[in-house]
Amino acid sequence: MATVAATGSARSAGSRQARTAVSRRTLRDSRVRTISFAYLFAAVAFIQPISYRHTYPTVSDRLSFAHAFGANKAVVLFYGKAYDLLTVGGYSAWRVGGTLSLFAAVFGLLAAVRAMRAEEDSGRAELVLAGVIGRRSEYVAAIGAIATAILLLWFAAFAGSVAGGLAVGGSAYLALAAVSPAAVFVGVGAVASQLAPNRRVALELGGAVIALAFLLRVIADTSSGAGWLRWITPLGWAEELRPFTGAIPLVLLLPVAVSVGLVAAAARIYLGRDIGSGVLSARDTAPARLALLSSPTQQALRGERTSLLVWLSSVGLFAAVVGVISDSISSAGISKQLDQTLSKLGSGSVLTPKGYMGFSFLFFVLVVSLFACSQIAAARHEEAEQRLETLLALPVGRRRWLGGRLALALGAAAAISLTAGVLAWAGARSQGVSVSLATMIGAGANCLPPAVLFLGLAALAYAAVPRAAAGIAYGLVAVAFLWQLFGALLGLPKWLVDVTPFAHLGLVPAQSFDAAGAAVMVALGVVVALGAVWLFERRDLIGS
Amino acid sequence: MAAIRTEGLCKRYGDTLALDSLGLEVAEGEVYGYLGPNGAGKTTTIRLLLGLHRPSGGRAELFGVDCWRDPVESHRRVAYVAGEPFLWPSLTGEETLEFLARLHGGTDRTYRDLLVDRFALETSKKVRALSKGNRQKVQLIAALATRADLLLLDEPTSGLDPLMEMAFRASIVEAKERGQSVFLSSHILSEVEAVCDRVGILRAGRLVDEGTLEQLRHLSAQTVEVTFAGPVPDLGPLPGVTVAPMGPAGLRLEVSGSIAPVIAALADTPVASLFSREPSLEEIFLHHYDDGDSRGNG
Repeated sequence: MATVAATGSARSAGSRQARTAVSRRTLRDSRVRTISFAYLFAAVAFIQPISYRHTYPTVSDRLSFAHAFGANKAVVLFYGKAYDLLTVGGYSAWRVGGTLSLFAAVFGLLAAVRAMRAEEDSGRAELVLAGVIGRRSEYVAAIGAIATAILLLWFAAFAGSVAGGLAVGGSAYLALAAVSPAAVFVGVGAVASQLAPNRRVALELGGAVIALAFLLRVIADTSSGAGWLRWITPLGWAEELRPFTGAIPLVLLLPVAVSVGLVAAAARIYLGRDIGSGVLSARDTAPARLALLSSPTQQALRGERTSLLVWLSSVGLFAAVVGVISDSISSAGISKQLDQTLSKLGSGSVLTPKGYMGFSFLFFVLVVSLFACSQIAAARHEEAEQRLETLLALPVGRRRWLGGRLALALGAAAAISLTAGVLAWAGARSQGVSVSLATMIGAGANCLPPAVLFLGLAALAYAAVPRAAAGIAYGLVAVAFLWQLFGALLGLPKWLVDVTPFAHLGLVPAQSFDAAGAAVMVALGVVVALGAVWLFERRDLIGS
Repeated sequence: MAAIRTEGLCKRYGDTLALDSLGLEVAEGEVYGYLGPNGAGKTTTIRLLLGLHRPSGGRAELFGVDCWRDPVESHRRVAYVAGEPFLWPSLTGEETLEFLARLHGGTDRTYRDLLVDRFALETSKKVRALSKGNRQKVQLIAALATRADLLLLDEPTSGLDPLMEMAFRASIVEAKERGQSVFLSSHILSEVEAVCDRVGILRAGRLVDEGTLEQLRHLSAQTVEVTFAGPVPDLGPLPGVTVAPMGPAGLRLEVSGSIAPVIAALADTPVASLFSREPSLEEIFLHHYDDGDSRGNG
């Protein structure tokens, strides 16, 4: 009996150890993402109260701001419904809650799919489950690790807003509201991971749910009579928690109940299914389609097809919405002085349809630059997975391969930019805004020079430090963009703000096209890309 | 012109010398076995031959074309099979074969169909749904069907079952009959023994032995097993022979060089049975690795 008890306790100690190991690994795997998100949460929570005090010091400033923006559909679309724009807390709750709740949703989805599906796709989950740990423990350990990461985000947002001068209790609650969607979307990601046959499909399913949640929130906040829709989207619950503006903590029951329900449902499915396949099975056989197989570039286009369509359609949809609501912007009642202050936010005057579209296209510029980085990340993935060895062992030159990938990235970036321009034009025309198609195509094309520059820089990072390339590329774009946004806002000297390429953009259609800036960006991008090809031809291929 | 020629080829990764002045020459029409344990530098050699990695010193040529300076030209007459099948998960087997054929600049379609039958490959399945062995078959078929003048094969049969291993050997024999050269990196000795004309043995980045199987055997110890009708006699010291007891009434002799002194020493003893055999490739191979750091006498 004694031996049995001893083995029993040794066994439970062993599985406890295994559980801790799984938790640690899950945390470690996602440490870069978790830390980046934590920085973002802290920065946003810190900057909003500071910038509000800085930009609208007096009650009259705040009143006119509230009057112009409280009901402005265009702004509400981005940031959600504002309950009180006259206090620092109310403004911060609106801006912080509106942006961070969306980021929190994305974080929850990524974390869940990474821990529950990507591990399985790579075959590592089999290795873990072949050890002394059961599925139930493995699942609990993964959820525990994700919960720890979310706690970290909460703390980051809390610390940021306390540092920004908001009350401690209110900050804690605001941070809670901001991260609440993360918990719900961990549940969504967990269920999607059980349904989908692989990581990619799980992310697509979860992404669709986030898009739907966002769309519901937008409709609820912008259409009269649709306010009740806020109660069926996790992003709406974050608003209904109403930090600093008459808090309703009872609403927290909704995200808690839904996330517990989803996580439990996912656990049930997980315990009953085969490792390595989802509830929805993938189609494994197909008749051969032999188009687009004559060159590595064609085949890359084939492989990226789905992702290109997603980029095109989401950017296009967003552009159309921007066009439609540009009409609802009105300059009535806005003082010149306030408009000038707002222009400093890096967006120019946003009080005319063209001004608003110029402001919005700054975000499309960002998106297209990020797309360029994603294409270099895809090229690196091809090398990391060693499929590039298969290609280059054939009579395929490195210059031809990388050149083709760059051309493909550029072509797709152009397609996305022009789609944004054309659809924004169509949206604006449908509301009777007078803006010419040529102008809006110009607004779209204006996204390309920075994209060319960042594509070149990303390619150079890829040629020089392949393993870190994607991080460097995305990081450069993010830093350059935030530099522009906050540099202007904090009133940094012009030469310092001018360091970022985004400062050299004419925001078409609000401003005129900056030909010199664009030419410099394109020329730099091309030179750097040529350097990248030169370097890439001279290095060893490097696996993952 | 040699299919493969390297001179003083070196590759250094950081502090490790992965390949140490390798001098190889594989003639056209020759099947060359490249043997070595894991980490000996076999894959490094192939990556240098394909111009995927840059030599730290020396040079490599395929059919007289420099591998690093002109990789595209040097690949025109070459087909490669990697040890791990790195293919595109969303393409089907048939799409993959077609893609690789087009990039190679043509293939023998009739032969490809024959190979698909021989290796029993289901070509309508997507690569992501294929087992490792089946993905390996896709690569092998694509390479063999090109009828390239030189096949560079890096442990091509890892993951194949014994039936497919036989199909592979048959295909190599066919390639040889057509005058193609084959560079077969492997640690499956029976495979190398069955198909290769010449063998090179690599250890820790150095070529420690090279030659035809007969030459290697000649240089290595031969095993003679003797049992006696009476008590086991003391043969005394014999040059180049190590003696070990074998059972109650036998001896096992490892003879390097001529066997004549052994026969002479045994002439007056009550020999019941005598069994002599040439060393297998496995014994030659192990002989090189058991020696620790010494390079052996081969």
